[in-house]
Amino acid sequence: MKNKLNELRAEFLEELSRATNNDHLRDLELKFLSRKGQLSELMGGLKDLSAELKKESGELANTVKKELQDKFEEMKKSLNSYVSKTENIDVTLPGNKISQGHLNPITLVQNELEDIFSSLGFMILDGPELESDYFNFTALNVPPSHPARDMQDTFYVDQKNKDGQYDLLMRTQTSPVQIRAMLKYGAPLKALVPGRCFRNEATDARHDHTFYQVEGLLIGKDISFANLKSFLELVGQKLFGPNTKLRMRPKFFPFVEPGNNGEYTCFLCQGKGCRVCKYTGWLEIVGAGLIHPDVLRAGGIDPEVYSGLAFGFGLTRLAMLKYNINDVRLFNSGDIKFLEQF
Amino acid sequence: MYISLNWLKDYVKIPSKLKPENIAAELTGHTVEVESFTNSAEQFNHVVVGKVLEVAKHPNADRLRVTVVDVKKGKLNIVCGAPNVAPGQLVAVALVGAILPNGLEIKESLIRGEKSEGMICAEDELGLGKGHDGIMVLRDSAKIGEAFSKYLKVDDIVLEIDNKSLSNRPDLLNHYGIARELSAIYNLTLIPYEKVLDKKWDFLSVKENKLEVKINALDACPRYLAVKVKNIEVKESPSWLKERLVAANQRPINNIVDLTNYVMFDCGQPMHAFDAAKVKKIVVRRAEKDETMETLDEKARVLSVEDLVITDGNEPIALAGIMGGHGSEISPETTELLLESANFAAAGIRKTSQKLGLRTEASVRFEKSLDTALPEIALFRFLTLLKKICPKMEIDSPLIDIDNSDHQEKTVELDLAWLDKKIGQAIKKTDVINTLERLGFVIADSKAEVLSVKIPSWRAAKDVANKEDIAEEVLRLYGYDNINSQMPASAMELPEINEERLIERKVKNVLCLKNSLNEAYNYSFVGEDQLKKLNIDYSNYLKLANPLSGIHNLLRQSLVPGLIANIKSNQFKSENFGFFEVGSVFFKTVGTLIKDKSEGSFLPYQEKHLGLAITGDDDLFGRLKGIIDSLLKNALGQRIEAEYFVIEEKPGWADTNAIARVIVGSQELGLVSLLSVEASASNNLKRPVAIAELNFNKLVELVLRQPSFQFTEAPKYPALSRDLAFVVDNKILYNDLKKEMVEFNSLIKSVELFDVYIGNKLEGGKKSLAFHLSYQSEERTLTSEEVDKIQASLISLMAEKFEAQLRSF
Repeated sequence: MKNKLNELRAEFLEELSRATNNDHLRDLELKFLSRKGQLSELMGGLKDLSAELKKESGELANTVKKELQDKFEEMKKSLNSYVSKTENIDVTLPGNKISQGHLNPITLVQNELEDIFSSLGFMILDGPELESDYFNFTALNVPPSHPARDMQDTFYVDQKNKDGQYDLLMRTQTSPVQIRAMLKYGAPLKALVPGRCFRNEATDARHDHTFYQVEGLLIGKDISFANLKSFLELVGQKLFGPNTKLRMRPKFFPFVEPGNNGEYTCFLCQGKGCRVCKYTGWLEIVGAGLIHPDVLRAGGIDPEVYSGLAFGFGLTRLAMLKYNINDVRLFNSGDIKFLEQF
Repeated sequence: MYISLNWLKDYVKIPSKLKPENIAAELTGHTVEVESFTNSAEQFNHVVVGKVLEVAKHPNADRLRVTVVDVKKGKLNIVCGAPNVAPGQLVAVALVGAILPNGLEIKESLIRGEKSEGMICAEDELGLGKGHDGIMVLRDSAKIGEAFSKYLKVDDIVLEIDNKSLSNRPDLLNHYGIARELSAIYNLTLIPYEKVLDKKWDFLSVKENKLEVKINALDACPRYLAVKVKNIEVKESPSWLKERLVAANQRPINNIVDLTNYVMFDCGQPMHAFDAAKVKKIVVRRAEKDETMETLDEKARVLSVEDLVITDGNEPIALAGIMGGHGSEISPETTELLLESANFAAAGIRKTSQKLGLRTEASVRFEKSLDTALPEIALFRFLTLLKKICPKMEIDSPLIDIDNSDHQEKTVELDLAWLDKKIGQAIKKTDVINTLERLGFVIADSKAEVLSVKIPSWRAAKDVANKEDIAEEVLRLYGYDNINSQMPASAMELPEINEERLIERKVKNVLCLKNSLNEAYNYSFVGEDQLKKLNIDYSNYLKLANPLSGIHNLLRQSLVPGLIANIKSNQFKSENFGFFEVGSVFFKTVGTLIKDKSEGSFLPYQEKHLGLAITGDDDLFGRLKGIIDSLLKNALGQRIEAEYFVIEEKPGWADTNAIARVIVGSQELGLVSLLSVEASASNNLKRPVAIAELNFNKLVELVLRQPSFQFTEAPKYPALSRDLAFVVDNKILYNDLKKEMVEFNSLIKSVELFDVYIGNKLEGGKKSLAFHLSYQSEERTLTSEEVDKIQASLISLMAEKFEAQLRSF
């Protein structure tokens, strides 16, 4: 027994000295030290020895067991620790550069708007960028040859219908989604529609043929002008801060009646007057109105039962104002130096 | 449009205490936005009356003179080139600092060595005429030192109004219309237009008819008035007429043309005067196909059958409602006029004007639908004023009035209870009635609770038609500022969540924050050259009918061209970088969104794609696949890896060896590839580029189909891991090796590739793939022996199936 114990001890220590990782340790532990390991097996033979031998061998077995366990733990510790090399650290060195990508500022502003309106119980909707003349104009109370079409230079898709007319276009506004939403969801309805729009106009620092708009609509029973005003005040305060004031002016949009624009206290100068607000203290931001009964009808909603308010503004313009960006073309430029700032 | 305050005063007494800024603000607040207002005296800032005291020859220039001019504040030395300058003259002197109407800025200067402290002005320099023969000599009543604007009595204020904001209000495209609004806003008396026109004229009887008018297109010309006038002298307009036209930003031409313009700016009706000697009769008809005519601007116009023309029975003499013809225009020799005052249908005018790219003051008005009562009123207004400027004029024909217009009066029922509800606030009945009456609406019975409101003819054409329109009239004059805001009452409802948006947001965040890609927004349009360079066939692309340029004339079907352009435009700014974009692409095939009300018509198919592009020097192909895995893990909320399969149909820009389909579960999402060396070269790219394009809509479906994530308890029994490296032929695919290993034994829980080696330590045509295999049982602790046994048979199977040799570490 004594010999066997010593052999086992030697074998264990030999193998332990060659262990270089935890897997080896685990194998060693299984082989020698576990409940079914060789040491246990050997010690299991003690019960067959005479009392005297049992005592003697038992003591030795316990000593060996303790030694092996200690050596094992020691090896485990040394395998799982490291040498400190901190003597020469310059603690003032900067952190390592962790690379990061950047979202387009349009996305940032859009997310912000979606969060605001979601919190007010609005659905966030989207619609096709390639639209039909019907949804972009006719259903919005802008029949063919209506002069209001001049307000928006339109890109038409080179595909004529059976009457020989171009009736597919790149949407000039997010408003067609109003009709699609009404047809899909009916009334009452609360929806916000951010999205890409197109106008066929020459590009410069202030104009791009591709830009983003946001459109909101709220349809219910007895929606009044007082509701619209109150709602626009709330929108202004959410966008530009709690002290923002609203000023409304009549303005013609075919899909609302009455129609108006809304100006907010210039958030850059707090209404004192600055270059951006052309020293008026006000920024013209939003176009709005009570939804025209013909538009509700086109959306399959009875204007004698329901009424609604709608508003829209330039998401691109908002982003330009918010971040003081003076060239609209930057948004679509894919310029890494521009994006890296956001 | 420019509105002169002096002109407005003809019709409404504007109190002198009303400041122009107030008028501009009130008009903006109640009617239409006034963009700016200017004082017409401002153009003569720093121009004063001076008296020439001395005139001497310039010592160094024969044609110049050196003068001394008294401007009261002092005596100025001024070098002058005019031959007519003489001592004692009263002249207009532009002082240093003046910027003249012709743009000339006056500075103190040395002219051929002589100091000059200002300029003595000629007429044209002051914008007052064409005269440049000599300096303008003023009347003796001029006071030395007084402002030149005062001498001229210019004290007008001109308001500028944006035409675009008047697209529904043609009644405001003139002074009388604006005067009417001001009278309503300020509650001022409006002088009836009847008061400024004389209707009593001795028109000849029809028996003596010398004027034949025929309308062959009644739908396009609802009303046509014509009359001939003789004993006309065509000359320069009197100064009051010129001043007004200048205020309205219209160049004076001659008294007759100026007067037609004056009437248009006065009451809104465009008129036309033909030289009656050249026009014997009038036939209004549609143009013939390819018929040509020369318009006043001396341009030849090719017409089509939808265009409306005024003819003399044969040739077109005017493009109806847009511009007169060159042949029949008023000339200095004209002595008799044929006056036209007509109404043309809006749609046709708009179409022709757009097609020809010819927008005139007349077409801008007609295309907004004018009042059919107006031609008659305007004609009388014209004759009244013509008498004033050509006192010898005589009527030389009967008054022709071919009137097929609909004069039916429109009435709208306005329920006051409804109105209060619509506005959200009670408005006093008397306020409602007063407001509407001041705007020209007529209320039949002011005692009724439901008012019967008659719409005035000038608002009835396309503007006011229903009770909502009337509500706006009341509201805007009542004042938006006077309405108390009130939040809408709304039921508590959970809005439908737009899952796609939420996933899009997550995807963007993962790509940007975790994988260091930048978000590109590229145009939805691409160009042929761009696609050619990428070897993309664009024969099936949708085209724009009216593109801005050739670089943006096709609707994109892939995000790849845009992303390549992004890489290119940044390759000198950065080295290892990448972009992603989520955007729509467009196809010719029919989609599922309805196009209009008609059954079975749908928009072209559109879907959203997610594009990824990276550049740099390391293993781009592998890195981009890693980005896709990271994206999937985060979007799906659990570790699901994409699988990559060999693709048959390869886009023209792809490296044919390094391109794979991306498959998740059984769903094909798109492809990942390296850009081919050829495409890279033709796009002048410096470094390799890897690209992936995934169908974003399918990705969203995949995410939504995914069962919600569940926590898995840690296994009770430890895992045993083994590393295995196989050397195989290059053609053997990872997918096949892995599949074999995963399916070999149920104790193999995972097979993970950790190294690929191709190089000179191996035979040619061979590669080594190294895997971590993890063995685990849910019932017991595995022994090394057991695992080694499984592994041994796995190794022999691999050898058998793939001729895979075990590589020792």
